[in-house]
Amino acid sequence: MSSLELFSPTNLDDALKFIQHEDKDVAIIASGTDLIPRIRKRQVSPSVLVDISSFQNDLRYIRNSGGVVSLGALTTLTDVLESPLVRDRLSALHEAAELFGAPQVRNVATVGGNVCSAASSEDLIPVFMALGAQLKLVSAKGERTVPLEGFFKGKRATKMKPSEILAEVSFELPKGRSWTGFEKLGRRNMLILSLVSMALSLSMKEDLQTVSAARIAMNRVSERIPALAVKTQEFLLGRKVSSETIAQAQKVLASEIALTSDFRASGPYRTEVAQVYLKRLLLRCSGRIRGSA
Amino acid sequence: MTKRVVTINVNGTEHSVQVNPLDRLIDVLRDELGAKSVKEGCGTGDCGICAILVDGKLVNSCLMLAAQCDGRRVLTLEGLLGDPTMKRVQESFVVNNAAQCGFCTPAMLMASWDLARHSANPTTDEIKVAISGILCRCTGYYQIIDSVHQACGESKR
Amino acid sequence: MSEQVSQLLESLREKAGKGDLLYIGENIVRVDSLEKVLGKPVYTADLIPKGTVYAKLFHSSIPHGVIKHMELGAAKSQPGVLGVLTWRDIPGLNESSAILPDRQLYADSIVRSTADILGAVVAETLPAAADAVGRIKVDYERLPAIFDPLEALKPDAIKLHPKGNIARQMRIRKGNVEEGFAKSDIVFEKTYRTQFQDATPLEPEMGLAIPEDGGMKVIGSMQSPHHTQAAVAKVLKLPPEKVRVIQAVTGGAFGPKSDETPFDVCSTAALAAMKYRRPVFCGLDREESMVMHTKRHPFVITHKTGVTSDGMLVADESKIVGDTGAYASLGVFVIVRATFHTVGAYEVPNVKADSFLVYTDNTYTGSLRGFGGPQAVFAIESQMEELARKLGMDPLEFRLKNMLVPGKRNATNALMDASCGLPQCVEKVVASSDYRRKAPLYGKQRGGLRRGLGIALLMHGNSLGPEGNDYGAVHMEILSDGTVSVGTGLTEYGTGAISGMMQVASSVLGVPLARFKLERPDTSKHRESGPTVASRVVVIGGNASMLAAQKLKAKLVPLAAGMLKAGEDEVSIADGVAFIRKRPSASVKWDDLVAEAYRRGLSLKEDGFFMAPAAPWDTEVGQGTPYVQYTWGALIAEVEVDTETGFYKVLGVHAAYDVGRAVNPGGVLGQSYGGTVQGLGYAMMEELLHKDGQVVNPNLGDYYIPTSMDIPAEFKAFIVEVPGPLGPFGAKIIAEPPIVLPGPAIRNAVLNAVGVSVDDLPVTSEKVLMGASKAARPSR
Repeated sequence: MSSLELFSPTNLDDALKFIQHEDKDVAIIASGTDLIPRIRKRQVSPSVLVDISSFQNDLRYIRNSGGVVSLGALTTLTDVLESPLVRDRLSALHEAAELFGAPQVRNVATVGGNVCSAASSEDLIPVFMALGAQLKLVSAKGERTVPLEGFFKGKRATKMKPSEILAEVSFELPKGRSWTGFEKLGRRNMLILSLVSMALSLSMKEDLQTVSAARIAMNRVSERIPALAVKTQEFLLGRKVSSETIAQAQKVLASEIALTSDFRASGPYRTEVAQVYLKRLLLRCSGRIRGSA
Repeated sequence: MTKRVVTINVNGTEHSVQVNPLDRLIDVLRDELGAKSVKEGCGTGDCGICAILVDGKLVNSCLMLAAQCDGRRVLTLEGLLGDPTMKRVQESFVVNNAAQCGFCTPAMLMASWDLARHSANPTTDEIKVAISGILCRCTGYYQIIDSVHQACGESKR
Repeated sequence: MSEQVSQLLESLREKAGKGDLLYIGENIVRVDSLEKVLGKPVYTADLIPKGTVYAKLFHSSIPHGVIKHMELGAAKSQPGVLGVLTWRDIPGLNESSAILPDRQLYADSIVRSTADILGAVVAETLPAAADAVGRIKVDYERLPAIFDPLEALKPDAIKLHPKGNIARQMRIRKGNVEEGFAKSDIVFEKTYRTQFQDATPLEPEMGLAIPEDGGMKVIGSMQSPHHTQAAVAKVLKLPPEKVRVIQAVTGGAFGPKSDETPFDVCSTAALAAMKYRRPVFCGLDREESMVMHTKRHPFVITHKTGVTSDGMLVADESKIVGDTGAYASLGVFVIVRATFHTVGAYEVPNVKADSFLVYTDNTYTGSLRGFGGPQAVFAIESQMEELARKLGMDPLEFRLKNMLVPGKRNATNALMDASCGLPQCVEKVVASSDYRRKAPLYGKQRGGLRRGLGIALLMHGNSLGPEGNDYGAVHMEILSDGTVSVGTGLTEYGTGAISGMMQVASSVLGVPLARFKLERPDTSKHRESGPTVASRVVVIGGNASMLAAQKLKAKLVPLAAGMLKAGEDEVSIADGVAFIRKRPSASVKWDDLVAEAYRRGLSLKEDGFFMAPAAPWDTEVGQGTPYVQYTWGALIAEVEVDTETGFYKVLGVHAAYDVGRAVNPGGVLGQSYGGTVQGLGYAMMEELLHKDGQVVNPNLGDYYIPTSMDIPAEFKAFIVEVPGPLGPFGAKIIAEPPIVLPGPAIRNAVLNAVGVSVDDLPVTSEKVLMGASKAARPSR
């Protein structure tokens, strides 16, 4: 800690050039709300911090271009919460932002920071996963786009290369006959880690009863990283949303997830709640889809 | 660690300070710039007691690095002592018994002032959200909420 | 005479009619409000002078063992480090304990918890000190550890202290419970458990020591400056007069700042200051505070209760076990309060209680607002609810039948007199909550969201009671400019009680509180007044304040009478004006009166000292009058439970407290709101966890206290005033009581909503859903 250096580039290119050649242990910092406490507790000890918070305007945006929504990595949670597009068309994202941290945290925490922390405490990750998000990773050599699904190697570990910075999160705006939703349980109402969190993106066929697509993401499925409940998704495809289907889907979910116990809550309890959330999200999203048709 | 010089506008005055990479904004404000109204309750961003305004946004100063504030405008309670809206909020706090031990009071005042200047008539829920990131152990929040209502021109809850 | 002037005169006449009650019952502006809303630098960390060095404590990493070796070399050789203090550096007694001498300042051999302090690194900067702490290596010989007080009680348990594992025992023997059970139609037994709660004052503990005049000046965040003075003097081997302790404005306390932690930080700062001849600051960060300061005792309480089929309590036998952790601290008194309150606000003809304050290797427990009351009342109020269900009786009716009213006797066989305001409290909350209409309605609910109402009643013995002499001293001086300067060893740390105490003097003197000034509590100036605990400032300090004011008034009224050429009994002082009651136009302004006093060389400096009457009780059988006065209360909580997830909201709280006389109603309500929310945290979400003696969640990200989003949307707080015998104008204590009832009321409300009995706090959504013990819906 006593030998930590800080580099504050004023633009993305400088940042990328720096980290390309830097062979010491580098950490990217935007708000620091996740990283700084961990550095102080000596949970991580990077040699160099690259502070990208000062070129905000390059990477801070919420755009909708031909049905593709893109969020710059430095978009704050407050930006997300205040966005009419998010409020009106991306219910799950709005709901997650509303329950996120507290005003001071939302004002500085970023979309990119959320995703790159790769922690199951970061509520935006299941939402982006349910939305089928793609990540634009840039380096001095160029850029590549990878799906968020599969981006995590393990707890707090991503497949990002040391020379890369996350620049943008993008996904297709849910089309007609689609809706999204988010649920989260904590021990108090605000400033709380999720015991369980779940995001659903549901699309239905013309009959407004049959599932044409379902993506269900949770803060944890069977490991300590956010992931999709793929078996449950598969089960729902092509089925009509009815109470029997929901009951069966809940069983599939219960068999698919392996939630651990810790001092906050037990695995069996989290599993119970996850099943309840699945039902509620299915009913809410399907109800909304039918209602707006 | 290599020190660097950053220039921060604190309460309307430009200050150039030499900082280490991990120096926290709260320490620079308190120790170098005399803004002792900024308090530390946890150092981990969980209590909001250190909340101040940076470029017009409420942030936890214990998590912000001083080095990240180069060129930014910081506002603490010291900088608002002459402000008429803040005065109304302070008077309301006094009359409504909203400051008990006083330790969360500067942060509560900053959050309340920020709300009051953006919102003429906030609802109880809006007030609760505005202060939701600042912990108070003494008041139970009710008299603080009453204060903000009154400062914004509403009669008591 | 103008309209305005005659109105003014009429107003004075009217105010004179109120006598000493002039300002009692008015909402005041607290004397310390202004500095707080102006963000003035008045807390300990704001007062650090240039050239101060920093002391950082380091503590044991194991719960039970013997220190074999401490490797300090690496720490000592770090740049900026002046040295490392250990037990070897203590010139006086290596002791830092509140009551029983069972705790060292720095462990020299045995460590009994991970809160045990081994020493302190002293360095030029805080980061240097913290860094050096990280380089200290300690080798221990581990000893087997006990973390469950019931295990510690077993006869074959290892001895954690030389005299064994029971730090204190108490008994109540009232009547004959065996005969009582024989007479009962239903005998029901259940066990209840409560958790470790952290006080979480937003300002952690800290102390600043400055060598001065051959002695030491200590400034710190604390509740009891004189106790801190005694502790520091013992460690430094200085006569107490050489240690001057000043309480800085303190950012919340709730109990732990009256226990050992202020002694620890202040003694450490003083030791380092003595050794290095520099000012020294020793403060705890949040994590250190949550590991090292005292917590609320977890209790295991078993009640076996007998009732008749028509709902009369006949007998109650309780076994009460409190986990005091590694050291007894104030636990020796917590167990006393818990025992005396074992059957709460009810009359039970036959009571047997056996209580044990037990050592374990958990971090230690001590004072925390309520002081054994929350635990005892959680148990008895939960038991009352279970009994009501067994009887098929409405829980309110069952309580009304058995509650203490004037003429009935409590667990210690003390007779309740006309000052018992419990019935009035119950009436207020029953009406406000619409209980009688809602309760039967809620009994018939079917949906996924179910509502429930829960009741709890409070008897809270006032002030120190059986804990020792209960006294306070207030110094009052009228300065030449007319300011009334008040000094006392009692401390303000958020409740506003000191302002309330001064309001009493203001009322007696007839001078608005705005003319008063509070001196910082200073052991070199102010007489020892006991610890500022037990909510006793207004009751004990208020009486002392009144006495001082009366003495001053006894000098000023004759002076004014002389100046006005009237008889002493014709003159009053109100609103800072001395006047002839029958002719208020004949008056002297306060400032002129004071100036005249000064001209004549009258001393305007008086002390008031008040000691509460002794509280006699028989220690063998726990019978007598350990408390001279009681505060009463009733709370009804309404919850809504999501039956699918167990998550619930507290929709409303209706709380009424009989405070005897509300000196400052706004202040009383402030305590009601604040204490209730702290009690709500205790009920719903707070739990400081240990695993193998290590605190699992010593931070505010994993230990949850209520935020503004957690408070009930509806909170109706009521003040009931049935004057008591002890406090000024009949005042009773209020600061602690409001934390007691939310726990059981919420627990009972959840039970009534969904039929789930949660018998161990906190009532989490998991426990509600997974069902601690499912109870059938009562038939009504």
